[in-house]
Amino acid sequence: MSMQLTFALVNGLTVGMSIFLVAAGLTLVFGILRILNFAHGGFFMIGAYLTFSFLQVLGDGLAQFLLASLAAGVVVAGIGIVTDRIVLRRLKDLDEEYMLIGTFGLLMVCVGAVKLIWGLDYHSVSPPSEVSGILRFGNLIVSKYSLFIVAMGLVVFFALEFAIHRLWIGKIVQSLANDGWMTGLLGLNVPLLFTGVVIVAFALAGLAGGLLLPNQSLSPELGHAYTLNAFIAVIIGGLGNIRGALFASLILGITESMSSFIIPGMPGLAIYVVMIVLLFARPNGLFHRGVS
Amino acid sequence: MITASRNSVISGILIALVLLASVPLWANPGWVFVVGFVLVEALFCLSWNLLFGFAGVATFGHAAFFAVGAYLVGWGLRAGESFLLLMLGAGVLGGLGSLLVGLVALRRMTGIHLAVLTLALSEVLYIVIGNTHALGGIDGLASIPRPTIHLGLAEISLESSDAYYWFLLLTCSVFALVLWWLVQSRFGRVLRCIKQDGERAEFIGVNVNRYQLAAFVVAGAVAAVAGGLSAPLTQIVTPAAGYWMHSIQAVLNSLLGGAGFFWGPALGTAIFAGIDFVTRTFAGLSEVVVGGILLVIVLAFPGGVLGFLSTLKSRRDRNADAAANVVETGLKEPAE
Repeated sequence: MSMQLTFALVNGLTVGMSIFLVAAGLTLVFGILRILNFAHGGFFMIGAYLTFSFLQVLGDGLAQFLLASLAAGVVVAGIGIVTDRIVLRRLKDLDEEYMLIGTFGLLMVCVGAVKLIWGLDYHSVSPPSEVSGILRFGNLIVSKYSLFIVAMGLVVFFALEFAIHRLWIGKIVQSLANDGWMTGLLGLNVPLLFTGVVIVAFALAGLAGGLLLPNQSLSPELGHAYTLNAFIAVIIGGLGNIRGALFASLILGITESMSSFIIPGMPGLAIYVVMIVLLFARPNGLFHRGVS
Repeated sequence: MITASRNSVISGILIALVLLASVPLWANPGWVFVVGFVLVEALFCLSWNLLFGFAGVATFGHAAFFAVGAYLVGWGLRAGESFLLLMLGAGVLGGLGSLLVGLVALRRMTGIHLAVLTLALSEVLYIVIGNTHALGGIDGLASIPRPTIHLGLAEISLESSDAYYWFLLLTCSVFALVLWWLVQSRFGRVLRCIKQDGERAEFIGVNVNRYQLAAFVVAGAVAAVAGGLSAPLTQIVTPAAGYWMHSIQAVLNSLLGGAGFFWGPALGTAIFAGIDFVTRTFAGLSEVVVGGILLVIVLAFPGGVLGFLSTLKSRRDRNADAAANVVETGLKEPAE
């Protein structure tokens, strides 16, 4: 039993980090632009498909895999610039409901585009040989790829934390989140900063798509599945809060992998129950104290 | 002016009813089924828009109530229960369910939080249904029989597709007209007042929460009725009836047709069905088209198709008025 529990815990940590990789960009866009982007999962999916295509050219290997993921991040960031110009900028001033619906339209366009470009077939990719296989810690068996995901999640988290709380750009972005108008008055180029945030967030989505590619079967449904979980994590963690998103993602991941213990026979239910409870208990997020 | 537009709406409704009633006479059975399906979805969307377009409450889990009705009627018909009783039960169960959700959620949450909460609750129902053996699990309830209605001495068999279609049309029309009447009544006007400014409504003594709760209950009950009607039509009920994409579909249909207009969602449902039909053979194209249309609507025409048409009309009327003024006064420039 305890072995099973430990196994579920490690598994949950991996699932949680996967959710966080998607949620990070989502919460960043919300924190700065105040847009809850339903389409984020769609761009994540495009990143996964791009990585899949790049890998077919590059071949196996950890370096190739990382390169393909990064390239996917760059391409998706480019798509992000266009999307920002055409859509996001105009959505900023609308009601919340219209933002949700507009970005949902964007998600549909992403799904449709993926179907048109890559077709309806399911694909699967195995992890690069360096991180495939398992490690043994006594009785505990952990897949190397799980550890890789957890490590990548931590890298992204600390990079964002460092940039936001320790670098000059973080100070600027924080001031932008607090008061865009005043930031503009102080002579900073607000539209340019918005574009910068969108680029980072979309690059994160594309990168996450690449890094998580070997974890699942690649299909046009991928966008929907991840959107919902990342959405939940962002809302539980507090909109715009990166640390909150990490904690919420881990809670959700562990809940998900423990759900067979908590509510047997109803896979996937526990995550929603936890979410509903947290929505009532802490409607403004786990760490409510404004944007960070 | 108002009576004129009202008359035109009423004559439009009558023409639509006659056309819809005649569908089984000239269309093949496949089409009758599709139109019946659109009617059910239209009623479902009208009930959602009572909340969004009139009460100012956006929910993203409305399909849960649809599923409640569909499963109750589907399960009951298989067990041989009376159809009318089941439909009544569906309405009551949908109303009670939404009362429960509304009591817990409406007072505490708005905007995104309410949207996500309702979505999560509907997902809970979806997962529970999908894993309940008695309800057929993920495969749902199949081979649901078409009912026969017993009215005292008379018996009306709805076993043929055409008969069931006419029953469906009658029921959907009655419920849609009741909703329409509700929107025109004092209740509907208070809801619109709340939507425009909840705080001021509160000031002039409106119990905002109670009115929104009432709208929530009505919407839930009507959605469950629509679900109930769908069960004998499709003769199969699957958990997809309560999936969040179905809730979102109601949102999309309503916005496309025009959420600010009572009949907007019904028009949107018909247009969406048309788009689906035309693009059905191109995988991916339908999503791109529909998603693109949604974006255009949200960014450029938040009033939907009807909003766009009414802007055109008011512009034309204004030009006509200006022309009439010229004729009446004989002056090109009005004397100040």
